[in-house]
Amino acid sequence: MGGLNLETAKGFRKGGAHGPIVSVESPEQSRLLGALSYEQPLRMPPTGKLSDAEIADVRRWVEMGAPWPEAPADAADGGSTLWSFQPVKKPAVPAVQDIAWARNDVDRFLLAKMEEQGLEPVPPADKLTWLRRATFDLIGLPPTPAEMDAFLADKTEGAYEAVVERLLASPRYGERWGRHWLDVARYADSTGADEDHRYPYAWRYRDYVIKAFNDDKPYDRFVQEQIAGDLMPPDDPNARVNAEGIVATGFLALGTKLIAEIDKPKLFYDVVDEQIDTTSKAFLGLTLACARCHDHKFDPLPTTDYYAMASIFASTKQFEDLDGAVVSKLYFRPIAPDEEVAAYEASNKEIADKKAEISKVEGLESKRYRDQHAPRLASYMLAAYQIYSEGGEAAPLAKRDGLEQDVLERMAEYLKPQRERRPQLEAWYAATDATRATAAQQYQESFLATIELRENAEKTWEKEAAAAKAAGKPVPDKPKFFAGDDRFFTEINAAKGPFGLPEEKRDAFYLDESKAALETLRAELKALEDKAPNPPMACAVNEGEIVDQKVLVRGNVHNPGEPVAKRFPIALAGRDQEPITSGSGRLELAHWLGSEHNPLTARVMANRIWQWHFGEGLVRTPNNFGKLGEKPTHPELLDYLAARFVESGWSIKQMHRLLMLSSAYRMSADATPEQREKDQENRYWSRFEPRRLEVEEMRDSLLTLDGSLDLTMGGALMEGQGTDKEFSDARKSLHPDSTKRRTVYLPVRRSNLPTLFSLFDFGDAAISNAQRTQTNVAPQALYMMNSEFVEERAGALASELLKDEALDDAGRVREAYRIVLNRPATADRVDQALSYIAGFPTDGSEDARSLAWTSFCRTLIASNQFLYVN
Amino acid sequence: MNSRQLNSRHLNPPVRSRREFLRRTSAGFGSLALASMLGADVQAPHPLAPKQPHFPARAKRVIFMFMHGGPSHIDTFDPKPALDKAHGQPLPFDRPLTFAEGSTGALMRSPWKFKQYGQSGLPVSELFPHVAQHVDDLCIVRSMVGDSVAHGGAVLQLNTGSNTFTRPSAGSWVIYGLGTENQNLPAFITLKPGLSHGGAKNWSSAFLPGIYQGTPVGHGGVSVDELMKEPIEHLHNSRLSMSQQRYELDMIQKMNRATLRGQDDDPDLEARIEALELAFRMQTEAPEAFDISKETEATKKLYGLDDDYTRDFGWQCLMARRLAERNVRFIQISHEYGPGNEVGWDAHSELIRLHTRTALMVDKPIAGLLTDLKAHGLLEDTLVVWGGEFGRTPISQAGDGRDHNPYGYTMWMAGAGVKGGYAYGATDEFGYYAVEDRMHIHDLHATMLHALGMHHDKLTYFYSGRNFRLTDVEGVVAEKVFA
Repeated sequence: MGGLNLETAKGFRKGGAHGPIVSVESPEQSRLLGALSYEQPLRMPPTGKLSDAEIADVRRWVEMGAPWPEAPADAADGGSTLWSFQPVKKPAVPAVQDIAWARNDVDRFLLAKMEEQGLEPVPPADKLTWLRRATFDLIGLPPTPAEMDAFLADKTEGAYEAVVERLLASPRYGERWGRHWLDVARYADSTGADEDHRYPYAWRYRDYVIKAFNDDKPYDRFVQEQIAGDLMPPDDPNARVNAEGIVATGFLALGTKLIAEIDKPKLFYDVVDEQIDTTSKAFLGLTLACARCHDHKFDPLPTTDYYAMASIFASTKQFEDLDGAVVSKLYFRPIAPDEEVAAYEASNKEIADKKAEISKVEGLESKRYRDQHAPRLASYMLAAYQIYSEGGEAAPLAKRDGLEQDVLERMAEYLKPQRERRPQLEAWYAATDATRATAAQQYQESFLATIELRENAEKTWEKEAAAAKAAGKPVPDKPKFFAGDDRFFTEINAAKGPFGLPEEKRDAFYLDESKAALETLRAELKALEDKAPNPPMACAVNEGEIVDQKVLVRGNVHNPGEPVAKRFPIALAGRDQEPITSGSGRLELAHWLGSEHNPLTARVMANRIWQWHFGEGLVRTPNNFGKLGEKPTHPELLDYLAARFVESGWSIKQMHRLLMLSSAYRMSADATPEQREKDQENRYWSRFEPRRLEVEEMRDSLLTLDGSLDLTMGGALMEGQGTDKEFSDARKSLHPDSTKRRTVYLPVRRSNLPTLFSLFDFGDAAISNAQRTQTNVAPQALYMMNSEFVEERAGALASELLKDEALDDAGRVREAYRIVLNRPATADRVDQALSYIAGFPTDGSEDARSLAWTSFCRTLIASNQFLYVN
Repeated sequence: MNSRQLNSRHLNPPVRSRREFLRRTSAGFGSLALASMLGADVQAPHPLAPKQPHFPARAKRVIFMFMHGGPSHIDTFDPKPALDKAHGQPLPFDRPLTFAEGSTGALMRSPWKFKQYGQSGLPVSELFPHVAQHVDDLCIVRSMVGDSVAHGGAVLQLNTGSNTFTRPSAGSWVIYGLGTENQNLPAFITLKPGLSHGGAKNWSSAFLPGIYQGTPVGHGGVSVDELMKEPIEHLHNSRLSMSQQRYELDMIQKMNRATLRGQDDDPDLEARIEALELAFRMQTEAPEAFDISKETEATKKLYGLDDDYTRDFGWQCLMARRLAERNVRFIQISHEYGPGNEVGWDAHSELIRLHTRTALMVDKPIAGLLTDLKAHGLLEDTLVVWGGEFGRTPISQAGDGRDHNPYGYTMWMAGAGVKGGYAYGATDEFGYYAVEDRMHIHDLHATMLHALGMHHDKLTYFYSGRNFRLTDVEGVVAEKVFA
């Protein structure tokens, strides 16, 4: 069908060279259905006939009038009918019948709908349940027994507010809510993908996020800084560098990068794509990255919108060196004034130079060692033969021939036949007793010839290079020798090869002058390293070379099409946009995103805050406010919250106060079957939805059980740069058991997350994660039952309890309930626990009592009441 | 139940009620027995319950033998007489992008001789004398194509279909689509996977729920002896006896059941009760699966466990058979990238030494596995797939090595109704490009899913605004590989 374009509604309706392919009036006449039927000459799809059911689906669709999703063309005037693209309007608060239930406007919006549906909110949860819920929600830790007592003792209505204020003022708050944002920002401490190089300064961005939440940084500013903080004036007018602003752009810099991709332009545009994906999901709840290869299938986002944004990130500095080597070099940006950075760089260079000087001396000594032995190569080989072939002993043979014993031993080890073929030794193995001496001689001559050849080549090059330099001509390349050019030579000279100078022999072999030189150099190196400043660097972006971006046809970097100007999606920002004439456009993007005029920014964040309190968002697809996303269950409430959010100066803490002091947040999770039946998915929010502790909450609160949680804030728990050998455990993230710090501070190595993280649904740090999943699988249960970590916590708690002379066993049980489950134990439960401990099948060992108590503590930890927040 | 929990609309249309839920998950699932064992009227949902394939399947399970590093196809299963003649000459056509751009040289012939084997007379080189004995069972795909010249992208693409984006691994898709018949062992097990070149991404479930991720047993660099001490983490309680632990578990379950609200729906809490019971059973079943002490000496010898060269991969192959017997759905074994602290297949230099060494490590174990699968009647319904992330160039690198070649290389399949003694597709006269019946990695995935009874374009998951699948928008089933 010549000219047929099925990409767009227009192309589809127009049809091919033979006109339209569907007839809505008489579907059976449609040529499309004819082709699918396989009964006409034109058969589609060519790979095989569709099933009857599928053909029936197509027929039904044609009968429906062949509806098509909203095409970008429909938004040509810049407008869109999509609900989320409309301006936020603060709606009137609805009237409700049950005036007493509603504590604030949030409640009125919810209650109005419940009343419409004939639903009633479930009664409030008891105070301790609310306290546990609020405490985990805001700081990710359980309430302490003292906090429980204080809250129970305060009978005033203000008690609830006091708790919320106390929690919001705690530095633990930023560690919990910052982590929510880090999920959205797909935060990690390494590049993931292929090489998984460390992002050595990623932690600065993490600490920035935690601080931003603790400081209640206005969200619009928070958004702007993450896109272009480096281009904004610092908060402190006296600061010469906006360090915080630079660090904030870690949001862009910390994505997954396939840094050993050989097709470097592709790598670069994959990075740009990753930034568009994360930025559009995080701030706008849009899947703009879908428009990389084709116009967005469902939302009014044409490919030109995508490349208009790509142009901004493509004009941003992303790498230190993209294509200088197989593995592209990451970009680290200074965050200190020039002189401080200069001092740091100078110190780095001094250290590198000093190391080079040390290697030079060592290299010359290694060469001297080799040259001493090279003229005896044949003797070494012949003596080695006697060892590996005839069972000779190294010591007497070395003595007999005047050889060094360890060199001879290494030579024998090297020459000993192996099962793998070594072509370089085949002439040696082919030699007979009669010819072996000659063969050895030939190996020696060849060896000496290679030394001479390489040295001559280098000398010649040095002369040529000097002459070229003097004449101002380009310096020729240094001669390059491959290991495979003379494999025998390479292996004999290898550090651990026969002629390599072993570590332990260096002292004896080195010339006195070398030793003296090395001693001085090493002392100097140590002094340099001791006074080296901390790297004043961040993983961040910068302005790059300004690119005149073209659409890349089908997303292929090697297939440029029409040019596009830097701008924002037309359906959102309109056609009439201020042109971006200088710089990358990041600053303009930052201001457009972090603005009350953007219809999505406040809505998307208000929805996230709601979701992180209530388990689900008002829009249940928090990263997708597009056509395929869900519509809000309460559009008016969402707009009300978005408007309040902006009015409050984009204060997230104000949002917590609003939501948490509502009756909605006070509801119980216990609903009767009738109540559940009426609101099965809780889309009317007629009850509170229980949730499982997230991995951070679980690990951190286990560490509070025995008081071992280390509350130190910030900084790096990972050392080094680059990556590690494939078989190295250093590839893995730091093991959670190796520190008592809060889980948010554990480095996240993308390619190898700690098992604990994957086990408890941390998610995938490679992509923006708007909502953790909750699974219930056996390996999690094994962790609770058998892990050393849980054993230690349970054991420590048990021994604390047993040590407390002031308590009897019943008192100990009650205390355990308060600490682990944050509630009192009923008399039944105390009896149950005491008979459990008394009946524990003992093995007769002395510590039977401690074993039983440890086991009892673990039963509490492994129970649903610990793992779930009600 | 929250929509983000399993069995939600992502897998099925929304579950409207407990009754509907039970109806939908009851077919063919053994948790009724479990429910009665618990003495409770619960039937928890299980996302890994066995599911019917789209059409009758040839294969019930997959064993994927991954040759990390990239074995040379022209030195193993794809002989190139023209290369012998042109040895030392420059490549007569433009060289495509290679990994080591600066160090490639002229055409280099294979240092190994090929011989014809079996009834089919398919040629195999001296590197694989044991596998060669099974050539009549192999469908040798000589026309593999991938998109990445570097390991990272290539390994990710082979395992997940994408060399760029984060996608679920093939094993995750398979168990998402089919569930598993053995609830006492993980459905997708990967033995000694590499930590480099994507690491855990290669067995991750990405945006599929976490339950579909592969369970790694050890990793590259860990010795088999070390690994056998605790093949799966947290499988063993160091302080409690089995009966003490049962006593403890009964208490936990008593507490958990007390929080179930009467007749109330609470599939999430019920699932947790079940997970605890399953964990308890895994504690006995899994160690038994990994305990090879009862295998005969003859069997151990068959896999080369008596030889230092073959012991590691031999153990993996033997484990593959033991896990296949226990109906683990997707079994991946890996010959590691750097056995014994130097590269294996990835012979950028020293092709001769490194390929003889690496082939020695895997040849006998692979042949042993094929023999043993046959003896146990498992080859009929197990799809065995062998290969690396790419092949190697017909031109030399660094004098005596070969560079990466994703443009045309070899993998092979066996079992599960695959045509044996059959060569599918072909590369050009030097073995650089696939020219006939090209099988892209997407096509390989489509073909694997086909063997398992699934349409690759119907195994989808709705995420972030659209349906995703293992084969993206590509993938053609190579019908010809099936008998």
